[in-house]
Amino acid sequence: MIEARGLTARAGAFRLVDISFTVPKAAYGVVIGPAGSGKTTLLETIAGINPQTGGVLRLDGRDVITIPPEQRGLGLVYQHGYLFPHLSVEANIAYGASDASEAKDIAIRLGAWDLRDRAVESLSGGERQMVALARALAHRPSILLLDEPFSALDPRRRETTRRELRRIHREWGLTMLQVTHDFTEAGLLGDVAILLDRGKVLQSGRPDEVFRKPASSYVAEFLGAENVFAGTAKLIQEDSAPAADGADGAVDARAHQAVEFRTGPLTIYAVASSVESPGYAVIRAEEVLLSLEPQVGSSARNHFAGRITEISTLGALTRVALDVEGAQLVAALTTRSAHELSLEVGMEAYASFKAMAVHLC
Amino acid sequence: MRVASVLAGLLGSLLFLFLVAPIAQLVATSGAEGGARLATDTELRRALWLTAGTATAATLLGVLGGTPIAFLMERWRFRGRAVVAAFLDLPLLIPHPVAGIALLLVLGRESVIGGAALELGLRIVGSPAGIVCAMLFVSAPLYISGAREAFARVNPRYEAVARTLGDHRWRVFRRVTLPLSGRGLVAASVVMWARAVSEFGAIVIITYNPKTASVLSYDRFTSFGLREALPVAAILTVLALLPLTALRALRYERRPDLGAGAAA
Repeated sequence: MIEARGLTARAGAFRLVDISFTVPKAAYGVVIGPAGSGKTTLLETIAGINPQTGGVLRLDGRDVITIPPEQRGLGLVYQHGYLFPHLSVEANIAYGASDASEAKDIAIRLGAWDLRDRAVESLSGGERQMVALARALAHRPSILLLDEPFSALDPRRRETTRRELRRIHREWGLTMLQVTHDFTEAGLLGDVAILLDRGKVLQSGRPDEVFRKPASSYVAEFLGAENVFAGTAKLIQEDSAPAADGADGAVDARAHQAVEFRTGPLTIYAVASSVESPGYAVIRAEEVLLSLEPQVGSSARNHFAGRITEISTLGALTRVALDVEGAQLVAALTTRSAHELSLEVGMEAYASFKAMAVHLC
Repeated sequence: MRVASVLAGLLGSLLFLFLVAPIAQLVATSGAEGGARLATDTELRRALWLTAGTATAATLLGVLGGTPIAFLMERWRFRGRAVVAAFLDLPLLIPHPVAGIALLLVLGRESVIGGAALELGLRIVGSPAGIVCAMLFVSAPLYISGAREAFARVNPRYEAVARTLGDHRWRVFRRVTLPLSGRGLVAASVVMWARAVSEFGAIVIITYNPKTASVLSYDRFTSFGLREALPVAAILTVLALLPLTALRALRYERRPDLGAGAAA
């Protein structure tokens, strides 16, 4: 378990301030944040490389403020691997291992054993990352800290390494904390997501919660939510409230109330347990449904007519921007759907989404 | 642009000639005679052995004391670090006879240290120990500076990784830092040795006799003239030149990339 309470640290002029989060034992935590947000500094502070200046840091229940890195029972894998250039690949893997045959098994599982006869200088970035991962695991840590460990791997290798690491994580009951820029990776791997910016934790929690319910408009935009609207919200009286979202919308009527959110010319219906006004309404582009005809008989409470201003395709996904009375609404759909609808810039289209898809912050 | 290039080339060539010509002339005219004198001139042989021996002793002491200083200066950020660094460089900047006089104050018979050493039967001034002290004083800063550069080239993250793999500080130093900085440390010690071999100003103040090669060269010049000083000077030049040439060859070999982008 990794537990930070009001943790502070300094690295040169950079400071980590009041960092609090918990990654339970055997859970997979992910740290997300822009470049320079302090992600690597956080890992180095947990590892004991960078001195902790305040707060509490507990690893597997132990307060580690006075415990040196070599006694913390953790492994650290940097993005660049930092393989020792004066040692062979095999010696690198075995560096901290107490059992050479176990180190070999781990290297085989991660596909790093085939590289054992190569010189470190001749390895590609991805190969170095695999060897560095094997080296850290061969030491049999109880906590593994990973700083973008898959960034230099090709997509196929990334997938197999990620899968094998997940398997090892489950088998060993490892507690892991991984820094990533990749939101998909964070969603795929993480049990706990920690969003870091300028040395502070902006939000932490289950990845789906952090992604669907960002704590602020900044978090929403950072996490790639393209529909973030500033406006005012008010609770609607029961009798004038729009109907519930339908059978699949498991809204707890006691905890949630209907909300009307006004942003410029648009009125957006949402559900929330409380509202802050003024505030922000966040709708993820994946939640916006696009059609060429007005949606009739739909359970969605929000319907808007607009004109397509931009279509951008990235592989299997297409992003469509709609001008709705001067406001921009973005929908994400599969490229196949976009082709079937024969979407073109300038066409009139209809966007709809459920009140439950709107997150107010 | 072209004129500027030609001018820069010309100025560079002139400086190169200015630096090389006297030494080349010295070795060319007297190197052979100096070599021949080695067989017949006992005093010269003794002076060369004394020079090499005391320079080696000074270098060993410099490496033993200078390595931890250089490592701490490079890895430890503390208030007054710049001041400490300036003090460490100071012996390089003061005139070497002044360094000899300063050493005399600390190590002379009347001083606390010199007096205590005499009590223990160790005479510093006027002995090989004094030569070692003079050499150490003027050349150790060169070693520390070179060693700091060598440690600076080793990314501390290698050490961080080694610590998370179970090594304590000293073990990390032995298993990671030292092998990665080894080439630079050897280079720094060679520079220190060569500088110690050529030292004259501080030595002549603290220990005129027994004579090192540099003092012998000066002695023969003042006693017998240029002709007698030349063979000794030529041999001394070759003695300093050999390790420096080996050092340059070592430096121009391909070095592993120890920087942050090593795996990029």
